Amino acid sequence: MAVPRRAWPWLLLLPTGIALGAVAFWPIFEGLRLSLTNTSLITQSSDFVGLENYAGLRSDARFWNAWWHTIWFTFASTLLETLIGLGMALVLYERFPLRGIVRAAMLVPWAMPTVVTSKMFGWLFDGQNGVVNWVLLNLGLIGEKVNWYGDPDTAMTTIIIADVWKTAPFMALLLLTGLQTIPTSLTEAARMDGARGWTVFWHIRLPLLMPTLLIAGLFRALDAFRVFDLVYVLTGGGPADSTETLSTLAYKELFSTLEFGYGSTITTAMFLTEAALAAILCLWLVRQIRRVT
Amino acid sequence: MSTADSGRSRPSIDRRTLLATGAAGLATMALPRRARAQGRVEISFASASFFGNETFGDLVNSFNESQDRVLVRWLELPPPSSSTEVYQGLVQQLARRNGTPDVFSQDVIWIAGFAAAGWALPLDEFISDTSGYFEGTLAACKWDGKLTALPWFMDTGMLYYRQDLLDKAGAQVPQTWAEMAALGKAAQDAGDAEFGYLWQGKQAEVLVCDAVEAIASNNGAILAEDGRSSRIAEPEAVAAIQFLHDSIGSISPRDVLSWDEEPSRQPFTAGRAMFLRNWSYVWPIAQDPKVSEVVGKIGAGPLPHFDGGRSASCLGGYQLGMNANTKNRDAAWEFMSWVSAPEQQKRVALNFGLGPSRPALFDDAELNEKQPFMATLRPVFTGATARPVTPEYAKVTLALQSGISKALVSGEVEAEMATLSQELDRIVG
Repeated sequence: MAVPRRAWPWLLLLPTGIALGAVAFWPIFEGLRLSLTNTSLITQSSDFVGLENYAGLRSDARFWNAWWHTIWFTFASTLLETLIGLGMALVLYERFPLRGIVRAAMLVPWAMPTVVTSKMFGWLFDGQNGVVNWVLLNLGLIGEKVNWYGDPDTAMTTIIIADVWKTAPFMALLLLTGLQTIPTSLTEAARMDGARGWTVFWHIRLPLLMPTLLIAGLFRALDAFRVFDLVYVLTGGGPADSTETLSTLAYKELFSTLEFGYGSTITTAMFLTEAALAAILCLWLVRQIRRVT
Repeated sequence: MSTADSGRSRPSIDRRTLLATGAAGLATMALPRRARAQGRVEISFASASFFGNETFGDLVNSFNESQDRVLVRWLELPPPSSSTEVYQGLVQQLARRNGTPDVFSQDVIWIAGFAAAGWALPLDEFISDTSGYFEGTLAACKWDGKLTALPWFMDTGMLYYRQDLLDKAGAQVPQTWAEMAALGKAAQDAGDAEFGYLWQGKQAEVLVCDAVEAIASNNGAILAEDGRSSRIAEPEAVAAIQFLHDSIGSISPRDVLSWDEEPSRQPFTAGRAMFLRNWSYVWPIAQDPKVSEVVGKIGAGPLPHFDGGRSASCLGGYQLGMNANTKNRDAAWEFMSWVSAPEQQKRVALNFGLGPSRPALFDDAELNEKQPFMATLRPVFTGATARPVTPEYAKVTLALQSGISKALVSGEVEAEMATLSQELDRIVG
């Protein structure tokens, strides 16, 4: 059978379309549909309830508590990872002995499964036997052992530190590739004109690196927003809900209480927040890139 | 070969026949047991997989070999450490209402939910005399006045203490929380122990267990008898949570706020604490010279209580249930009653280290000889107290974990309990 010429591209796109539809769009629509029902595996109900779940969500203190924690975690970890990653990338860009090995070794934290990282940080920051307390005590920076995961004031910070340790190298790698695309002729010309390190960084490298920086930051922020394993392993959301994030809250609602309706409302709200976050960052990104190019 | 096939001009053995005979042949080869299954009622038994010197599969095989009426197939669920997954697995199967699995084992906290959903068959018509079981366990097996689960094995919270330090202080095992706190404080001040009392305050299921024990030992309760209203803002419960809060920083380190079972066990077996609240698994670890500094120095017994109260220990463990949609009730009951009978409970106690739900077994000579520790648990199990019995337990426990954790952290126990009480009323009301 002869396929019309104009149909070919669509035909070739079809397998991808079906695959994407099955694994990306269908779950989203299914989640959206469930969020409008009172589906529960326990009561076996599955009725359409309109926006009732969303009304409940609006006045659900647990949800807003988790929402703010997630936003704070995303903001703090992305900012720190971008700054530290940038510093690491600038160092790794320079020539020094064994640079190849250092570049490879730097990726180890990122390659480690997050559950392993979590367990490791659990021990590092352990209140009784943790090496962090030991070092800080011996340096005289703290008067007594701090219970990092048992205190609402420090639990989230500790989780952010663990995430930064794990993901800063990944940011560094992305930014390093960005740095390598900047033509050396530009920096050489600047140097001939008498520009020093700081000036070269501020006026040449940083503006040209900006698109990469923003894209990497966007990826990181969207990824950080879904934080689950660190919280799940280290604190389970406690103490006093101080580390509860949207992912852990949704998990509890979906899989502990088996309330698929309300649980899906939480995940849909999460999806919408993340979409809004992505839209804002993308708009900003496009404007920045236009300014540079 | 069917006539329809031979009507066509095909080779004498067609593909379908070949496949069918081949499959039948394979089946006989791979599953010799199936051949013996003829004439027997086949039922299935779903259970979390516990491990010991044998598995539950071995237990099921023994049943199959012991008689020729019923053949049980074991559906293996994840281990109890993944209890959320075990729960999901059971719910998904029971919700289909197709009678599979016919028999299942369930964590005590799911019993009410399964019964209220109509998935677990009331067992009163099969059993009239339940006097052979612990009363606390039977209470947890009932929903709406009906017995919907048959007691199997159990574990409860208990007090571990350092006998050597008690002897040094010339003291008896403390009966009340106040006595325990005083002894713990004295040992701390004398430098005998770094910590007086270790427990579990992490925002997790175990926090609910610790809270149930404290509250029930002060004649309080989390929910009212009928499970439809909260009692957690009553003075008894508030005083109990206040005690837990006040222990932090005096006889317990601040770390208990982030500790579940294992982190709290480690300092105790390292010889750094005088008292510990934990489950029965701690005993063999504490008696292992390779990992323990307190071999031969410790004892275990019922938890303390408040003045005028009685010792309470939070009940855990898996109990047996019958699927309400099973087509083979008699066969299911035959298996259930067999596996819960004294001989099998003893076997489970010896080979898995899981505590029997029948008090009489604690007088058994062989059990006393091979599991001397378990034999001492009778007084502890006698005080077994159920966690709130409600079909909404999954929601209740999340609210409790959050509310009690807030009270312990902020110290505003009365206010937090009042808020929590409203939340509980909303869930169960």
